[in-house]
Amino acid sequence: MPDAIAIKGVRKTFGTKVAVENLDLVVPEGSLCGFIGPNGAGKTTTIRLIMSILFPDSGELRVLGKASAIESKDRIGYLPEERGIYKKMRVGEFLRYIARLKGIDAAPADAKVRQWLTRVGLEETYRKKCEELSKGMQQKVQFISAVIHEPDLLILDEVFTGLDPVNRRLMRELISEQRRAGRTIIFSTHAMREAEELCDHLFMINNGIKVLDLPMSEVWKRYDPRTITVEPIAGGPSLREVSEAWGRIPNVLRVVMGPGAEPGAEPGTCDLLLRDDADPAGVMRAVAASITPRRLELRRASLEDIFISIVGISADELERQNSSQGQEVARA
Amino acid sequence: MRKVFIIAIKEFLATAATKGFIFGMLFPPIILGAIITIMPLLMNKKPPAVFGHVAVIDRSGAVAPRLVEAFAPEAVENRRKERTAKVREAIDQGAKSAGLDADTTKALSGELDKSLKAAEELAPATSLRVVVLPPETDEESAKDEIRKGGKRDTAASNGTGAGTGTSTGTSTSGNAADPGPRLALIIIPDQTVRGSDSAPPGARFGEYQLLTAPRLDIEVQSDLRSQANRAIVDARLALAGQNVAQIRELMQSPAAKETTVTADGTASINEVTKLIVPAAFMFLLWISVFSSGQYLLMSTIEEKSSRVMEVILSAVSPMQLMCGKIIGKGAVGVLILALYSGVGITALIFFAVAELVPWQNLVYLGVYFALAYAVIACFMAAVGAAVNDINEAQTLMGPIMLILVIPMMLWLPILRNPNSTFAEVCSFVPMINPFVMVLRLCGSEPIPFWQVPASIAVGMATVLFMAWASAKIFRIGVLMYGKPPNFATLVRWVRMA
Repeated sequence: MPDAIAIKGVRKTFGTKVAVENLDLVVPEGSLCGFIGPNGAGKTTTIRLIMSILFPDSGELRVLGKASAIESKDRIGYLPEERGIYKKMRVGEFLRYIARLKGIDAAPADAKVRQWLTRVGLEETYRKKCEELSKGMQQKVQFISAVIHEPDLLILDEVFTGLDPVNRRLMRELISEQRRAGRTIIFSTHAMREAEELCDHLFMINNGIKVLDLPMSEVWKRYDPRTITVEPIAGGPSLREVSEAWGRIPNVLRVVMGPGAEPGAEPGTCDLLLRDDADPAGVMRAVAASITPRRLELRRASLEDIFISIVGISADELERQNSSQGQEVARA
Repeated sequence: MRKVFIIAIKEFLATAATKGFIFGMLFPPIILGAIITIMPLLMNKKPPAVFGHVAVIDRSGAVAPRLVEAFAPEAVENRRKERTAKVREAIDQGAKSAGLDADTTKALSGELDKSLKAAEELAPATSLRVVVLPPETDEESAKDEIRKGGKRDTAASNGTGAGTGTSTGTSTSGNAADPGPRLALIIIPDQTVRGSDSAPPGARFGEYQLLTAPRLDIEVQSDLRSQANRAIVDARLALAGQNVAQIRELMQSPAAKETTVTADGTASINEVTKLIVPAAFMFLLWISVFSSGQYLLMSTIEEKSSRVMEVILSAVSPMQLMCGKIIGKGAVGVLILALYSGVGITALIFFAVAELVPWQNLVYLGVYFALAYAVIACFMAAVGAAVNDINEAQTLMGPIMLILVIPMMLWLPILRNPNSTFAEVCSFVPMINPFVMVLRLCGSEPIPFWQVPASIAVGMATVLFMAWASAKIFRIGVLMYGKPPNFATLVRWVRMA
């Protein structure tokens, strides 16, 4: 399969600050690639380099088979992190203008605008000024501006920021639709749940350096925590009693008590950490034989766990970053 | 190129199709045109006729006969003819010194005749008598007559006096038929005519009183004042044993025939041609260039601050965006230029003096507009892309604006001496040379022809440099937020891009 994006040894600096260092990245056509990393890691710079809004100091970059995105801008859809819209322009007029800039003729552009507005439930806003729309509505309009010309490559920067749960779901559906239509999609995000759900490839950058570049299946394999979580049913033997027995099950490395497992407290959970070569099914059978479990689960690492383990920042810090970014976008 | 034009059309419509622009730019010339065309129609309404009399209490006994004579029908008619002749002479002289040809002068003369006839028709119909009251008449009772007359005046204006034409007569107290309401009272003390030996020097002659009814036509008041002054002075001269007619003749002001000696011979040059026309051209250029430049600056800042810039840059290159914006706002500038020059030329044609602006001047205006706008637009685009809001833009624009106001501040010295070293140097200073050249070229004094292509070459070189530098600043600046850049930063961006 040919590559939609091929980046090799790209470096970009702003004065003394190195934004991206020796970056290699290949995005195959038709893939949906998640692009994650902490704030200031270089995600937006990389996306702007891909879009030829910025140009690398060194290295090679090919987009849709061309030496730069300028040569194929009409085949690329882009939703930037900083949402921009002409406040005084009418919604229909704004989308028509963008569509025309993306190479669509005037008449079909108008038909497409109306079609897309209906698709996202904003058909009533065609004649409204952009400033009259709510933030969520504006975000949908901006999404339309990125996809109206049916691009081969769709780049979405922080697409889920600032959306309520209903619109998040709608956005997930729209992205899935685009993927089904065969488009290559890259989206940078801090929304780990959406990334887990949608991506088939994960790319992580930190301090301008790539730290992860794997298909999702490989990510789960590599970051498999090999942990079984047990939660006994109420009224059975105490967790403390049985946990000692579980520690003696072959291939169980360690038992970690969860909250509520202290003497006198309500039954809680405990995690059984397994050896790398352990068969989880055998261990689960042994555990099930010792108590009646309310929950017996072979855990998988969350993307958030993986992110934190790689980047080395706490979940609280990540949350703070997410919320402060949301506020910045809101201010913008 | 297609995308550049799409942006240009959007930029043009975003400015020219707004209510603010239509009101701000189209309204003044429309109002001006309306005034030129509609005002004569509105004014073509005869003022109410003046019917009544002027009472004179002449305590010297030497002035009243002269006033009676001054308001005799023949004297009034003579004064009207004299005024017309003076206006005609002044316009003929102006047309000649402006260098208008015989046909134009003739056409102008025809227009003048029409105007004078119209003015004559519009003059208030006057039936004004002078009634001489005995010197011992009580002033208060004479004034009471004016008060009563005021009430009668309204009726007279609406009725009996209307449309009676000029029918001036004289009357002494009680000798005439109804002289109509009293419109004015002139009280002339003896001292005003004969003077007082006991009065301090400079105050030998006292004042006289001119009391008028409310709402008396201003032209009638003016005529009364001037005729009373003249009659008093004439009376003084006569009492002093002087030949009044001879002195009046000797006191006539001579007219100057002004001619400028040029290298090719001599030419009569009018001050209007010399100063007003070039200044109008330069101000027109300045206004159109800076209005459109300002629109470009504001639009760029708005796109940057609303973060829509990045969306647009995902569809076009920074260079395409900048070119589209410059062309679009340039079209706005052309519209402003065409609008105001169109109004000006229409006015000149309307008044049959289109020769004051040779067609070459319009070509020069177009060429130098293109050069001036391109430079200012590049600068504005770069500044707009570099800053986050208009306040930061003002800081960057300050020094440049100081240079650009030079032609505005020094237009008079440049016009007075368009071939001075200062004017010639300014003609080759980048950024201001289009304004200075328009000023010099539209003036009456010819300038060395080589300076025209040379200044255009300087202008084009400036445009190329500014386009190169501003493209670099624009490319970096549009995505830079945070600390506002200073000039050093802009220079660094030009070097690094």
